[in-house]
Amino acid sequence: MPISVNTFWTILLIIHGLLAVALLGALTHQALAVLMPVRQVAGGVGFVTRFRAVTGPAYATAVCVLWILTFIMGAWIYTKYRIYIRIPIEQYGFWKTQGFFELKEHLASFGLGILPIYWYFWKNPQNPEYGSARKWVTVWLAFMCWFMFLVGHVVNNVRGFGS
Amino acid sequence: MTTTTTAQSRSPARTTSASSTLAASAKFKAFALAFAISFPVLYVICDLFNLPMFTYHPATNRFDLWWGPARSGEGPAMYWYGWTATCLIAGTILGLLGTLLPESAVKKIPLFLVWLVPILAVPVLVYSLMPFWTK
Repeated sequence: MPISVNTFWTILLIIHGLLAVALLGALTHQALAVLMPVRQVAGGVGFVTRFRAVTGPAYATAVCVLWILTFIMGAWIYTKYRIYIRIPIEQYGFWKTQGFFELKEHLASFGLGILPIYWYFWKNPQNPEYGSARKWVTVWLAFMCWFMFLVGHVVNNVRGFGS
Repeated sequence: MTTTTTAQSRSPARTTSASSTLAASAKFKAFALAFAISFPVLYVICDLFNLPMFTYHPATNRFDLWWGPARSGEGPAMYWYGWTATCLIAGTILGLLGTLLPESAVKKIPLFLVWLVPILAVPVLVYSLMPFWTK
């Protein structure tokens, strides 16, 4: 069954968004686990404790794969964004919105640069030498992910595909 | 020790082994450190001095090698793909050069640079976007 061009790009945008949600969840779990590690999980603990009581190393490869997949999907739909979204945004005069989107694309690339060492740190979880760097690299990735997610959400609200 | 294992049982073990070998590799650590520290520096240089490996023109689906201006009647030009490609390739080269360093030299590289350098690069990028903040 043929689909319209608009539907095609909307599906890609939704896939990009879903991948971003999965990445955001994984990184938030991991970041909270390193910022507020749970020393001992006992019965009757609350939601927040359970949220941060994850095994960080188990997320490392998934985070790398999700970041790359989300990046590829974002880079793909960016070709259409440049023409059908950015030009109207500029015509409306939403310059700051566009500025934040530019920053989002910069941070997406920064994430690629940090992934190999992030993966390496998490694959050596017993090495205390990497503890601090592992923590802050993870927090930095989580911060970038949250920033990009929120900016993407706002830009979609300003002028989503099909609008 | 048996040499006959099924493909099913061999495959996951091989993957785990490759992964753990990479994670234990001092050369991979050197590569990843050099890549992580150089990437944001390269990116800022590419952004400030406009050094994309290629330029993409989305309206006409055309590529120019290196930097190319937007052409009249052909829509905007995109440089981000080219900047990222420049950084990935140059960062990989620097990472590979990093693997040539002796292990003692790699151990002296402060690990906090991998997260501090990109954070320090952000204000520079924000400044480069000044036209968007002041319009």
